[in-house]
Amino acid sequence: MSSTLEKIKFYSAHIIFVLICINDSIFINTWIAPGPIINIKYILVFYFSFFDKGRFSITFLFLIGLIFDSLQGMPFGMTSICFILLSILAAYLKQRRTQINFQNEFIAFAISLFVTQIVSIIILNYFLPIPFEYLLLAINIIVSLVFYPVIRTLLKVFYHY
Amino acid sequence: MSQNRLARSSTPGVSALQKTISKKFLLPFYIIVSFLFLFSEKSDFKAIRFLKALINDGITYSVYAVNTPIKLISDLGRSARQYFNFNIVLENKKLKDQIEQLYAEKRELQFFKNENDNLKRVLGIKNKDDYVSIYAKIIHEDTNEFAKNLILSIGSNEGIQLGQAIVLNNVYLGKISEVNLFSSKAMVVTDLNSRVPVVIPSRGVNAILKGNGLAGSQLLFLPQNAVLENNDQIYTSGSDGVIKEGLYIGKIVADNKKDIKKKKYSVDLGFKEHQLNYVSVLKVKK
Repeated sequence: MSSTLEKIKFYSAHIIFVLICINDSIFINTWIAPGPIINIKYILVFYFSFFDKGRFSITFLFLIGLIFDSLQGMPFGMTSICFILLSILAAYLKQRRTQINFQNEFIAFAISLFVTQIVSIIILNYFLPIPFEYLLLAINIIVSLVFYPVIRTLLKVFYHY
Repeated sequence: MSQNRLARSSTPGVSALQKTISKKFLLPFYIIVSFLFLFSEKSDFKAIRFLKALINDGITYSVYAVNTPIKLISDLGRSARQYFNFNIVLENKKLKDQIEQLYAEKRELQFFKNENDNLKRVLGIKNKDDYVSIYAKIIHEDTNEFAKNLILSIGSNEGIQLGQAIVLNNVYLGKISEVNLFSSKAMVVTDLNSRVPVVIPSRGVNAILKGNGLAGSQLLFLPQNAVLENNDQIYTSGSDGVIKEGLYIGKIVADNKKDIKKKKYSVDLGFKEHQLNYVSVLKVKK
């Protein structure tokens, strides 16, 4: 019984992540913030890669990235690369730190998010022949950073890392 | 022999090593596959396009299946709220009055249409392309910081092509931006990459309507001394030769700046983005 519950708890993160990725607009745009969107997908990938490296496998991130790109009309493969990169960066930055506290974790998130967004800009600029709104991206990064402690605290309540 | 192999693979040390090796191979494999997908964006091979359309169709309909129960639950809440809305009788009476008024306007419009057709015949002006509308269900809608997409249940199987306008009750919503076999993607007018040639008939002014993402839409390339007022109506001008002319888009909302040159005009769109279930795609009649 307890193993079933553990399994449900383990896969609940996957289910939440998939639902957020395919329902970006419903979950984020209308419920939490009507203005600039918080990048909850990236926060989830970072959080679970930072605290529990094995939870989101690379195959899972790759497939969800493809689904997200297909739905959003982004270049195919871009989000997969971003998810995998974010996951690797989170795991690497955790390995480098000897002491894990909130400050270190937040800095690691900021670095990972920044690098991932730069990679996404490079890919978008090269593969999508349309103008790009840098201001919105900057707002998106800032809002994601501001909301990170809140979402992380909520996740910590449920997953106890 | 096979038992021996089984025993070997179940040894914890060996299985961990196997996992590490497979992980080491998986990472570069997925990155290479992702880049191959990315580079295929630039290729014009028919086979690759067909494969991508197939993948898109598969993903679209799987997401639709996953989302159906969630949508049902959210619709249930809305229905319950409507059921307990006691002002519904008053609202019904108000709507009946509105319908009567609309019927009167429709009769008047029919008169003007006939008059216009007669005058065109006298002047020898040919009618522009006729359009047929194809009904489509919205199976998914997606918003992010850059794009606003609707995924429709019809694709190239119904003759859908890039650039065709999508409308709801003759109100312009956007245009087709991607066509798969059994589904297609439409870019909504608020999408950052959306540009639509429009006309404001009451002022005789042409402009370009640019999507502003979550902030709505904005008018660009207006004539220097153009002065627009709140509630001026905007229609598609059809000057791009693809989108039908005369589709209603919305009303002007001007900011409070007194300097005409610095004044910015946004648009109160004629549809509500979160209440879309079905749309029509306008196709040129052959």
